[in-house]
Formats: sequence, structure tokens, C-alpha cells
Amino acid sequence: MITGNLKTSYAADEQVFDNPWKRAFLIFCLLGLAAVAVFANDYVILIACQMGITLLAVTGVNVVTGYTGLLSLGHAAFVAVGAYTTVIFHSLAAPLIPAALTTVLAIPVAVAVSALVGVVVGLPSLRVKGLYLAVATLSANFIVIFLIELEVMSPWTGGMVGIDTPSPNLFGWELDTRREQFVIIAALAILGLLAAQNLFRTRVGRAFIAIRDRDYSAEILGIALYRYKLMSFAISAAYCGLAGALFAYFYARILPEQFELELSLMLVAAIIVGGMGRTMGPVFGVIIIVMLPEAIKVLFGAFSDGGAEAAQFLAPVQEIAFGALIVLFLLFEPFGLTQVADRALRTLNRWPFARG
Amino acid sequence: MRLNRRQFMTTTAATGAALGAPALLRAQPTDYVFAASLPLTGPFATAGQLIAPVLGMFEALANEDGGIGGVPIRVIAEDSGYVPANALANYQRALATEDNLVYYFGDSTGFMKLVAPELTGENARLMGSTSFASELADPATNPYQYLPGPSYEDQFDILLRQIADEGGRTVAFIHANSEFGRDPIAHGRATAEELGLRVVLEESTRDQGADIPTHVTKLAQSGAEYCLLQGYVTGVWPQLIGGARQFGLPTRFMGTFWGMENFIADRVTEEAGPFLDGYSGVMPYKYFYDDDRGPAYDRFAAFQAVNFAGTPLENYLPTWGLQAIFSMQIGLEALRRVADQGLELTAENAAEALVDLQDWDTGGFFGVNVSMVDNKIGTGRVYSYSTESLLFTPTSDWFTV
Repeated sequence: MITGNLKTSYAADEQVFDNPWKRAFLIFCLLGLAAVAVFANDYVILIACQMGITLLAVTGVNVVTGYTGLLSLGHAAFVAVGAYTTVIFHSLAAPLIPAALTTVLAIPVAVAVSALVGVVVGLPSLRVKGLYLAVATLSANFIVIFLIELEVMSPWTGGMVGIDTPSPNLFGWELDTRREQFVIIAALAILGLLAAQNLFRTRVGRAFIAIRDRDYSAEILGIALYRYKLMSFAISAAYCGLAGALFAYFYARILPEQFELELSLMLVAAIIVGGMGRTMGPVFGVIIIVMLPEAIKVLFGAFSDGGAEAAQFLAPVQEIAFGALIVLFLLFEPFGLTQVADRALRTLNRWPFARG
Repeated sequence: MRLNRRQFMTTTAATGAALGAPALLRAQPTDYVFAASLPLTGPFATAGQLIAPVLGMFEALANEDGGIGGVPIRVIAEDSGYVPANALANYQRALATEDNLVYYFGDSTGFMKLVAPELTGENARLMGSTSFASELADPATNPYQYLPGPSYEDQFDILLRQIADEGGRTVAFIHANSEFGRDPIAHGRATAEELGLRVVLEESTRDQGADIPTHVTKLAQSGAEYCLLQGYVTGVWPQLIGGARQFGLPTRFMGTFWGMENFIADRVTEEAGPFLDGYSGVMPYKYFYDDDRGPAYDRFAAFQAVNFAGTPLENYLPTWGLQAIFSMQIGLEALRRVADQGLELTAENAAEALVDLQDWDTGGFFGVNVSMVDNKIGTGRVYSYSTESLLFTPTSDWFTV
């Protein structure tokens, strides 16, 4: 009978998945993803890819907001930088680099450029925090979109009308179907999540958490606030840059309007409903923010004939249902869905002694 | 048992018929699906909510006429919130769930551009939309997408030519800071130069909640005789004109299709006064109340009187609804022609049938027969609003660009 997670070695104590239920959950998720890749139709693949890309961006927001406690409302800008850098890199590199290598170089470049922009946007975090920082980071959205839309930039960015994006090519394997892209997106999303999980088991990650919990205490303990805050912004923006690069490869065309304030707000909303400062927070957040509206649509569609007149009445109701669900989550589970999952796994692990 | 030749032939024929009949029945679908994304929520919900019932009317009337080759059509619609990625998801869902999807109606230029590169092979469907974006009217790059009227660039050309004909010398362009707003601006600048008109102001505004006094002040400083507005639907354009009139500006304002809805102009006049008097713009279709409306509008009117009684659609069909229904009518006509030839209703065959829409009698949407050239119908005329009659009335003959 299990009465707790009793460790008998340091190796066991260091395990990320430290009980059989968590390991079973991981295997179940991986099998689920494999099943999606093989059996799902194009629509499910589309939504799954959107979720994977958003997951990476939300993980980025989680690093800076959830773990470091720095509220940012400008992360859509980093996604945009990642996406446009990828397209620009392809157009500049096309005559110089073999096609088979362009993608593997474009993605790190997009990540690096986004991280650099993240450092610049993070500079105000040295002087302000809380809502003031949120307002300061808000400007990143507008500045980046303004630059993308500038006519002098339009040969590279397409300006207001957007630009067609290249297909990814990994060492000669052209990923020109959504299903193939899903494999890469899912793999990168899982690796991104694992990297985030491990980041917070390192000195850097613990420094972030110390800053979140009380920044001046962290400073007294010897943590260089400026360095770590900027590092947090850089890592966070790098995640968003990776999401942006995948976004550019996934959609056949990118438009500036896809990276506006609404996306930043969606990323923050996802982390709030999922669970801030938890590795699985972004996963549950993305399920709620990206998948739930689609699920509501499918559910409502099942009860109507799909006609335009039904949609006319159901569309606002769907919006209300989605809003109400978010409010209910926040009311009854303010720590997000992660908390619900934790309770469920704990109950399974310690049954019959722990029942949630 | 031995069979003689006659018995063998009879048995073979009977067996063949028994086995083949279900296959024949299977080949004939129970319906063809026309799907649509509409902005039923979000910034253009007013337009989406008015268009939605019109799609039901389209379905009913198309089926009265025998659907496509005797097979009824079914129209389904979903909300996009005017977000291109949502509309793309709607399209993919329709492809995945509807075996007989033959047509799609998109809700924005953004969606049409986002989906265009994906319209290949089995994922391709004939596609109309709410957009008049110039870039879409290109059969070489977008063979399956078309415009149900002149492009925004064409509409700007028409207005600029009218200004030149009236002896105007200076013009201002005020547009929403969106793709929709910016679409014809560069082309309009070039046309103005060709016509000897000076563009004295190019002003970009927010597409909702614009800072009206600032924009009006800039317009006043520019001294423009004419001002072309682009990229607005329900808001901003009336406030800009109202602000200019309060400022005492004599500037003549002109707009393109989405800023020409009589219902909005009436509401503005009723709530804020008669400052829209003389506002004019390009309209591809006859207004629903036009005296010389044709049989198609009469049919709509009869349907609306019965089915939309007690709603704003009982006696009037907004231009937005006309645009949607005409856009789908083009698709229906192309698909019917494909079916008449006994071909499969693929996007490729439908795109070829689009090209054949020449000298087409639309039943009264236009005052003349129209043709599909470069995947657009470049026909329209200029209408002007009167605050006395509360109507847009024609001030030019029909023209084709």
C-alpha cells in the first residue's frame, strides 16, 4: 500500500516523473500524440498543431510571468519576431545555403533574434514591476507590428498585406503536409516542456523563483537581479521565437494582424487558467484556450443542423459559454487546471489515503 | 441447370442491375454542401449577423431551382470572430466533416490570403468571400478564388476618374490601419498622379474608435477638395464626415463598397443629423429598393416578406447580404455548369466554369450583363446619399473597368 512517494536513492529523488502514475500519464500522452499523427483527420491535426505552437509560446510566458513573476503583455511581439525572422532568413539565405539546411539554421536564428529582442524589451523590468512593467512591455506589441507594417520593410515582411512563408525542409525531408509538420511541432513542444521543467531544477531557474517570491530577498542572497531578469526575458522570448518560427512554417502566409495584442492577452490568459509557475500549466492552459472553443463549436454543432440561422444564435452563446467556463475555473480553481490534475494524480497514487 | 443464351443474358443483366444500382445511388450524393465562415461575433458582427439569414434564403431559393443537377444544396455556417486562423479552422473542419463540400464562403481578405496557398489537390474548393481585395483577383495565383465585383483598386480608380471629370485637383485618402484599409492606397496614389490629381493627405486611422478630431484637423490642414475613405464598415467613416461638417469643411467624401450601406447611413442621419448628404461611392449592385430591380430581387423580396417578417430583413436586403448572396450565386452558377457538362464538381472544373461566365444575366443584381474577367466582375456604378430621401441613388451609368 502506497502511503507517499518514498525515495530510497538520490537518483529517485531527482526523477522528473517520480511516481508510476505520472509515468503512466506521460506514456498515455505520448501514445495519444502518436495516435493523432497516424489516425487524426486534417482538422484535428490543424488544431493539434495550433496547440503545439501556442504551447511553446505559453511556456515562454510561463518562464517570465509564472516563474520570475514579471508580468508581460508583449509576448506576441516575440512570436512575430520569430516568424518574420524565419521568413526573412529564408529569403536572404536561399542563394547562399542549400535548401536542406536552411530550416535547421533558420530556427536557431529566429530563436536568437527573439531572445535578443526579449532582452531589449525586458530592460524596463530593471526599474519597474507589476502593472507598470505590463504596460511597458505592452509597447513591444505596437512597436514590432509598426515596424513590420512599415513600407520600407515591406520587401522583407510583406508590410500590411503579409507574406507567403516557405515550407520547412529538414535535411532534404520537405515537410509539406500538416501531418508531417505535426510530428516536428509535437516533438519540439515536448522538448520545450522538458527543458522548462529542468530549467527550474538548475541554479538559474531557482534564481528566477527567488526573484518571483521576493526580489530584494533574492538580491540579498546574492542573486544579480538585473542579470537574471534579463535572462528570464531572453529565455522566455526564445520560446516565443521558436513558436513564431513554427508558426511561419505552419501557415502558408503570415499577416501582421495575427501577432497583435489579442495574441499577447491569449498567452497570458492561457497561463492563468492553466496554472502559473507550473510545468503543466501551459499544457492545460492551451487545452482550455485553443481546444475548448473548438470543442464547444463541435458540441453546439451536434445539436443544430449547422445552418447559418442556427449559427447566428449559437455563435454569441458559444462565446458566453467559453467566457463563463473561464470565470468558473478562476472561481473554483484559482491555481488552474494543473491543481486539478495534481489532485487527481495524488489521489490515484495514495489511494485510499488521499482523496483529493 | 443449363442456361441458354437468352437466360444467361437476362440473368447477367439482372445481376448487374442489382449490384450496380446501389453504386449508382451512392454516386449521387444526397446534397452538396456550401459552407461559410461569418463574423458573427467580433468587430464586424453587425454585418455577419445580417448576412447569416440571407444564406438560409440562398439555400431555399437555390433548391427551389433544383439545386445542382437536381441534387439539393445545404448551406452551413460557423463563426470566425473575424479572425483568419479561426476561419481557416472552420474550413478544415468543413473539409473533414462534409464529404460533399463543393463551395466555401470566406469572411475576410486575411482568411482568403491565409487559405490560398493551401487550396491544392483534394483540399481545394471554389471560394468566394466578402473581400474585394485586389490581390485575390489573380487567376494565376488564386485560381479558385474570385471577387463578386470590382476590386478596391478598381473602385478607387472609378472615384478618382469621377473627381478628375468634375475638375477636382486635390484629394485626401483616409483609410483604416488594416490590410482592408490599405489595399487600394498605393494604386490610388499612382492613378491620381496619372489623372493629374494631387494627393494632399494620406491618413491612417484605427478601424474602430479612431481619434476623429485629430484626423479631421489634418484633413482641414490639407485643404483637400475630395476625401476617399477606405477600410470601414459600420464605424469611423460617419464620425469622420460628421466631424468634418462640424469643423465647417466643404470636402466631398467618397467611399467604397463596405462604406455604402443605406441602413448605416439612415441610422447615422437619424441619430446625428443630415451631414451625410452628398456622400457618394461605388456600388457594384443595385440597391434593394432601386426602381428597376430585376426578377432576382423580386424573388428575394417575396421570400423575405414571408420568412423574415418582423426583422430588419422583412422589407430590405442590405448591400452586405446582396454581396454574400451574389458571391454564392456565382459559385452555384459555375458548379451548375460543371454538373451540366457531366463533370465532377471539383474546384478545378469549377474554376474553368468561372471563366465561362461571360455576358451573364444575373437576374438584376447589375443593370447590365456582366463577365468574369481575371476572376472578378469589374462592373458597378456610383451612388450618392440624400438625407432627404434617405436613399443612395445612382449618379452614374453602369460601367465596367
